[in-house]
Amino acid sequence: MAKPYTNFTTLGLGLGILLSSCGGTPEAETNKDDNAVIQDDAGQGTQVLAIGGRSFGIPSPVQTAYAIRKAGLAYQKDLTTPLDKGDAVTGKSDQAILLGMYGADLAYVTVHRDGQRSLATMQAIEKLASKLELSNAFDRAMVDRFKANLGSEDSLLRFSGVAFRAADQYLKNNDRDDVSALVLAGGWVGSMHLTLSDPATATNQELLDRIGEQKSTLNGLVQLLGAAELDDRSTTIHKAMKELKTEFDAVTITYTYEKPVTDNAARTTYINSTSTVTISEDKLSAIKAKVDSIRNLILA
Amino acid sequence: MRRSLLLLVAVPAAMALHAQPMCEPIAARCEKHIATNFIPDGQFYRALLQGDEMAEFGLTLFGGSTYRVAACSGDSDGVLVFNVYDDARNLLYTNREHGNAPYWDLAVAHTLDVTLEAHLDPSKAGSGCAVMLIGFKQ
Repeated sequence: MAKPYTNFTTLGLGLGILLSSCGGTPEAETNKDDNAVIQDDAGQGTQVLAIGGRSFGIPSPVQTAYAIRKAGLAYQKDLTTPLDKGDAVTGKSDQAILLGMYGADLAYVTVHRDGQRSLATMQAIEKLASKLELSNAFDRAMVDRFKANLGSEDSLLRFSGVAFRAADQYLKNNDRDDVSALVLAGGWVGSMHLTLSDPATATNQELLDRIGEQKSTLNGLVQLLGAAELDDRSTTIHKAMKELKTEFDAVTITYTYEKPVTDNAARTTYINSTSTVTISEDKLSAIKAKVDSIRNLILA
Repeated sequence: MRRSLLLLVAVPAAMALHAQPMCEPIAARCEKHIATNFIPDGQFYRALLQGDEMAEFGLTLFGGSTYRVAACSGDSDGVLVFNVYDDARNLLYTNREHGNAPYWDLAVAHTLDVTLEAHLDPSKAGSGCAVMLIGFKQ
């Protein structure tokens, strides 16, 4: 018999359904997007989101940064988000998206071993995180630890991964899933901008594949944002991302299953399935133009 | 009947109220499974499960990376069962075949979309907070 589903990152869905069936606490049920989204207010201020019974993980910007470096693209510091932008933004949505974009930049400058820019970006993140009440994750001690390890790329990437996870945990523990989704969206847009901005990307098959492979991630992000309570600014960005998703519809991914091989002693399973990505030149241009447009919207 | 209904409401309500303190120590324990040679993906996945409820999330695993998946619940390792499926519902991995291992590495040759599902081992817990963490290395 099929098991009942709930989704990760949320708590109390079962409670909401139970209260509803008992005629208990009033609940709000809305379909805010094309996807089946149920929002229950289970009382005690606990907002519960169920996205078709499914949640999403968004790949780390660090992985994109590694892909850019591996492809041999030139490091271009000017592609990163202006660090003074963080002082200017005031709305929580803008701050959250910008925090995500700085996270993508941090990964990019760190894997390219630009220690000074890494530190400056981390300091900008700390200031912005303070505005978002995320000082539990990004505090002065974190910046100091970062500074003390500028020579170790792996340590810096791990510190930032741990800090962003702590921030995500804090946001979800405090029913701020909306902010969490916007941080993820900002990180994704920032990574895509860094990947697409170099004309050499168009002739690098590994990067082209990596761009096409974002299709499911974008779909997940659009659904996450669709489930969130957005203000006018972030609603506009969500709309633009849905338009970008339409461009991605033309990307074809062919997947062939191969039986995995498990090495018990190494506690590792080798997943050997194959996949190929097809993305036309025209479509790549359209995707780049749309990503640029979304980034400009965010930075406006 | 009224008492049964009250219990039905009160028990999960109490769980929801105590979700955060319930999840925190589990998350702290789970973090230790993401060894220092893995970079955390920056996200925190959790769900409150009761009985045979199943939690799931979708994820893209990039080719050329090795992912560490850590899955925790309850007071000790081995309470959470997790499965990894591809989009065609082929089972790629289940920790059930490995004593409910609290973590496992997935070495990915080519990029694919997967679904991670998790549920409590009914012989070990009837309800609780499920935490999953992911790290990766190139």
